[in-house]
Amino acid sequence: MTRLIIRRLLLMVPTLILVSLLIFALSQILPGDLGRTILGPYATPAQVTALNHKLGADQPIAQRYLSWAGHFITGNWGESPVLQQRVFPMVMQAFSNSLLLAALALVVIIPLAILLGVVAGLRKDGLLDRSITISTLSLTVIPEFVSGVILLVIFAVTLKWLPVTALAPPGSNIFTRLYYLILPAIPLMFIELGYIARMARVGTVEVLARPYIRTAVLKGLPRRRVIFGHVLRNAMVPTVTVIGGQIGWLVGGLVVVETLFGYPGLGKLLVDAATSHDVLILEAGVLIVAVIYMLSNLTADVIVALLDPRVRQRG
Amino acid sequence: MSDASAQDVGRTDEAAPAAVDVRDLEVTFHRRGRDLPVLRGITLRIEAGEAYGLVGESGCGKTTLAMAVLRYLASNGTVDRGSVLVDGQDVSKLSEEALRKWRGEAVAMVYQDPAAALSPAMRIGDQICEIFRYHEGLSKAEARVRAREALRRVALPDPDATMRRYPFELSGGQQQRVVIAMALASNPRLLILDEPTTGLDATVEAEILDLIEELRGRINAAILLITHNLGLVARLCNRVGVLYAGRLVEEGPAREIFTDPRHPYTMGLLRCVPRFGMNKTDAALQTIPGTLPALGERKPGCIYADRCPMVKPVCLRREPDLLAWPSDAAAHARAEAEAAPADPLAFSPHHANPVGEAARHARCYFSAEVPEMPATTPVLSAPDAAAAARSSSDVLEMDTVRRSFRDGRKRLVAVHDVSLKINRGETFGLVGESGSGKTTLAKCVTGLIAADSGVISFEGKRLKPTAGRRSQAALRAIQMVFQNPDSTLNPAWSTRGILTRAVRKLGGLSSSAARAKVDELAADVRVEPRFLLQKPNDLSGGQKQRIAIARAFAGDPTMVVCDEPASALDVSVQASILNLLVELQASESVSYIFISHDLAVVRYVSDRIGVMYLAELIEVGSAEEVFNPPHHPYTEALLSSIPTLDFDDSHQRIPLRGSMPSLSEPPSGCRFHTRCHRFLGDICVEQEPPLQEAVTGHTYKCHIPPGELLQLQAATEPTAPIEV
Amino acid sequence: MAEEIAGRTAAEIRANTASLLEQRRQRRYVMRSLLRSPTFMIGSGIVVFWVLMALFSMHLTQSPFDVNPMSTLQAPSSAHWLGTDDLGRDVLARTLAGARSVLVIAPIATLLALLWGTVIGLISGFYRGITDEVIMRLVDVLLALPVVITSILILSLLGRSVAIVIIVIGVLFTPLVSRTVRSAVLREREHEYVMASRLRGERSWFVMAGEILPNITAPIIVEGTVRLGYAVFTAATLSFLGFGLQPPSPDWGLTISSERLFVQLAWWTVIFPAVALASLVVGVNLITDGLGRVLSK
Repeated sequence: MTRLIIRRLLLMVPTLILVSLLIFALSQILPGDLGRTILGPYATPAQVTALNHKLGADQPIAQRYLSWAGHFITGNWGESPVLQQRVFPMVMQAFSNSLLLAALALVVIIPLAILLGVVAGLRKDGLLDRSITISTLSLTVIPEFVSGVILLVIFAVTLKWLPVTALAPPGSNIFTRLYYLILPAIPLMFIELGYIARMARVGTVEVLARPYIRTAVLKGLPRRRVIFGHVLRNAMVPTVTVIGGQIGWLVGGLVVVETLFGYPGLGKLLVDAATSHDVLILEAGVLIVAVIYMLSNLTADVIVALLDPRVRQRG
Repeated sequence: MSDASAQDVGRTDEAAPAAVDVRDLEVTFHRRGRDLPVLRGITLRIEAGEAYGLVGESGCGKTTLAMAVLRYLASNGTVDRGSVLVDGQDVSKLSEEALRKWRGEAVAMVYQDPAAALSPAMRIGDQICEIFRYHEGLSKAEARVRAREALRRVALPDPDATMRRYPFELSGGQQQRVVIAMALASNPRLLILDEPTTGLDATVEAEILDLIEELRGRINAAILLITHNLGLVARLCNRVGVLYAGRLVEEGPAREIFTDPRHPYTMGLLRCVPRFGMNKTDAALQTIPGTLPALGERKPGCIYADRCPMVKPVCLRREPDLLAWPSDAAAHARAEAEAAPADPLAFSPHHANPVGEAARHARCYFSAEVPEMPATTPVLSAPDAAAAARSSSDVLEMDTVRRSFRDGRKRLVAVHDVSLKINRGETFGLVGESGSGKTTLAKCVTGLIAADSGVISFEGKRLKPTAGRRSQAALRAIQMVFQNPDSTLNPAWSTRGILTRAVRKLGGLSSSAARAKVDELAADVRVEPRFLLQKPNDLSGGQKQRIAIARAFAGDPTMVVCDEPASALDVSVQASILNLLVELQASESVSYIFISHDLAVVRYVSDRIGVMYLAELIEVGSAEEVFNPPHHPYTEALLSSIPTLDFDDSHQRIPLRGSMPSLSEPPSGCRFHTRCHRFLGDICVEQEPPLQEAVTGHTYKCHIPPGELLQLQAATEPTAPIEV
Repeated sequence: MAEEIAGRTAAEIRANTASLLEQRRQRRYVMRSLLRSPTFMIGSGIVVFWVLMALFSMHLTQSPFDVNPMSTLQAPSSAHWLGTDDLGRDVLARTLAGARSVLVIAPIATLLALLWGTVIGLISGFYRGITDEVIMRLVDVLLALPVVITSILILSLLGRSVAIVIIVIGVLFTPLVSRTVRSAVLREREHEYVMASRLRGERSWFVMAGEILPNITAPIIVEGTVRLGYAVFTAATLSFLGFGLQPPSPDWGLTISSERLFVQLAWWTVIFPAVALASLVVGVNLITDGLGRVLSK
């Protein structure tokens, strides 16, 4: 088991290196030069040269990559020329804000989605199944800004049940902060709901068709035992894998929701950085996101290994 | 007239209720708006302690019957008529809760694929314990005690270790033992076995059968054995019922039915299975013409009429009832059917028949004439031509071929230094259990897998290891017929397209010549031209395999490797495929490498045979030589483990100790020494056995010289296994 | 001899026709099941409606570009059924015309992803070994980058033309398609007809394109419709974030983004484009659901 984790962690390293190379490469294909793009057409050549030198843009490319990568690992992420602040604390603060929002959404929706999916699978093709499938399907495909806007209009503007902004006043306790995050969290929940519920349903349906369920039923076991002891465990395997992979879409959702509600999370930070060509923030932020994605996949794989002993053996 | 032999095995009412009492059961499947009658008029009785075998080919409804007894039909299946009583209890009247309890306590089932039947993520111990905990309300500790006992009952060594394992960590034989242990845990009244040994190796199968036989003596359950394997039924069952297209066509005591069948279908089945010792030069296999009816298909009159070699007009007038035998019930019924107006679709319930229960029944108007049933195929299949085609010149030569695989960190040697020669026009049978390496070897010959070392030469010239590197001529000369008819043809192509491509690529013919050649090939394999325009999915299994054979012959090959070509087919279809292969060999003078796990089939088809064990070729010789003493102890044990239809056969079963060693750690010295019943001592452990030669051309690897081996084996009694 | 040939030809023609009829019957069975599936029909209805709107709305409504400073942010009325936006433009006209941009970007991007993904998946799944390992590593790398964020990264650096948006979405969806295709290929590859093909000496490309590909069309089609749904989703999200089309395009995402400042005063400027976009995405996914059910039978 530990061998599995270590192996996966080691495999992450080359992937991470390749990802960082890719990110770095992308940011280097900027037409024109970096300093000019950041400062705009009205800056003097001297200012541009100075900025370029400050950013190290005049060094050979391999050296630039290595120094960037090296700095990243040590936490020295430089200073944003656009915002005139150090990148590391900015990104970390934004990241923790986003983490709160994402955690709220996931903690609520994962159990609910699994429950709905399993129920739909158990009552396949019945009324309950069709209604759950159609409703989760419809909710999941609506872009976050669409559902966000509609919810905003209904609940914040018209009914005034929830606040219009997502940022609680400074110094609020955790519960107030969460209260303000309810509205932005819902679009995220909708997106995840459909995908997770669908996977749970598919997993349940597949497992129900397997011969060992027949064995369990013909052993005369009570239905509850069959479901909880035999069905759930095996049905969860594809579901957990999918949840791990969904983090990518969740991050995209965070971008949209934070922009819509003006919440200072990592997503909004990245969008603003992209608009203002703040390359350092962009690189750091995207790399952090990639790391989170790989870690969440790793966690999902570990959970799958706990559920399915065959995976454990293969390592 | 009363039938003299109405000696009833269980006249109802007065005696104690039978363990199983099925009357006029009728089950229908509703699919896409159509009603398909899958079982009709099934009537059978099983007493406590009795074993009843239900035989039939695919689609006959045998598993459906088991499911109907357990009340576990799919949602689109309904019981339209009849009743199932187990121990006098009407199964359909049980409430949900009562049904559940009843399933846990009174009946139990053993399944075909034990690996799939066990929950993959749950430990063995937990899976057994839950039976006790939920049915008898035992505590965890008490349940564990009972579970240990259950595992000991099925001769699983070290129950504690086994209980901690997961299903995938056990071998096939061990898994099936666990399933049997679970089935017997609650001391059921009825035990249903659905193809319990299909897919298991011959020696493992024999062990499981031994176990079942032994347990039978101890429990008083009624046993229902469902299988297509006649030998199995002959070995285990007192009585047998033959199922065809959802009807019972014959039923009665097993011995009588197999030695004196009274229904044309039963006779047909018995004739198309190669009996042990039969060879292709003796006679062709008698096939059953036609195809099995589709699920739920209705036919006028007798369901078997369109395939029966004895059919008469009266057979189409009205379907015969299950008539008692021996008696003149058949003659009476026939007269009645001829007198009354024709009613082809009528079907009367058995129990409306005033002739009560008899020991034996047959659903035929002409039971008396069945022993003289005419043959369907010419008796001899041109053995002279075949013999003429054979010569002693070598066509293929393998020299120290070796192939290994990596599985994680372990290295598995699948083929270990195999050398053999194959002559022109002969059939070389290759036998061995799973893991023996026979399929890998065959794939090395064709080039699908590259041998790691060693030389394979064809007609004197060395072959490149992979098919991709070989010349077109080499590819044309060596072809292959695969096991699974459903995946052997590309479903997206038309049949004609498949053959045309093969003919053009392998034969190098132009399009007009190709057309003619395709027609010729189709005729050779007896597939009507209209089937050529269809897609493979519209063909039956037998037809698909014929097309696959035609494809292999598209370029006029010199050698065809046949990897279990008939194993996935029904017995009646198998015979026609084997006949076809024999015929083609004679007319085209090809050699075959014929792989099969069915020893009777191999014996029938092969001129020479090679036996493989754990990646080594341990014996080679003519079919006659290999199958008779003196032969390798493994061959001896393998042969003894086959269940035969020979009721007078008094040969001893030779059980093998232990289980097949892993390919990654083969035993030292003689690879077979860990299980050998003729184990000598240290010499077997330390030294690799030499190649002994019994007669010219018959060699085997053993430390026991031929003379001594012959003496030991001819005595029929195996020596007591020497403790290592 | 002549009669033989004629006879055979006649019989063949009959059989040929029978077989063609059989195939057509099977295709018609699929069609009929689709037509009977309510999800498929409703979804198709919605999508067809929007396609028609994309093509013809300009002829049916007022111009979506007419600025009218006198009547900004008007509530829905008889003159403007869905009201006007902050520049006095008719919301109905803009809502109906907004379909055009998304319906150009999404399908093309999806087709690109299908094309590239199928080729990569075929090669990776067929050859296995080192090729497969390398390709799958690269796929993992691409998948580690969330689509939206990577898109804005690239678009911010390369510019925001429609063509680049299409290519970016196409490239970023390719790995997912290739994974699905690869699993399908891995399954097919074990079938014996592939082995038979190799024994004939068929070239690799023939086996991939001629033998395997025709048997994996169903999963590819389903994957395609799934990707289409996500492509619509992504394209709209990108224009919402400002990385897609530019004003004065009536694109829905863009409209919602620019009008959301006024949401408390004039909800209609935002709600109608939102509902329109939601309906299109739901429609595409209903098609996917219906198609998936029928093809898996």
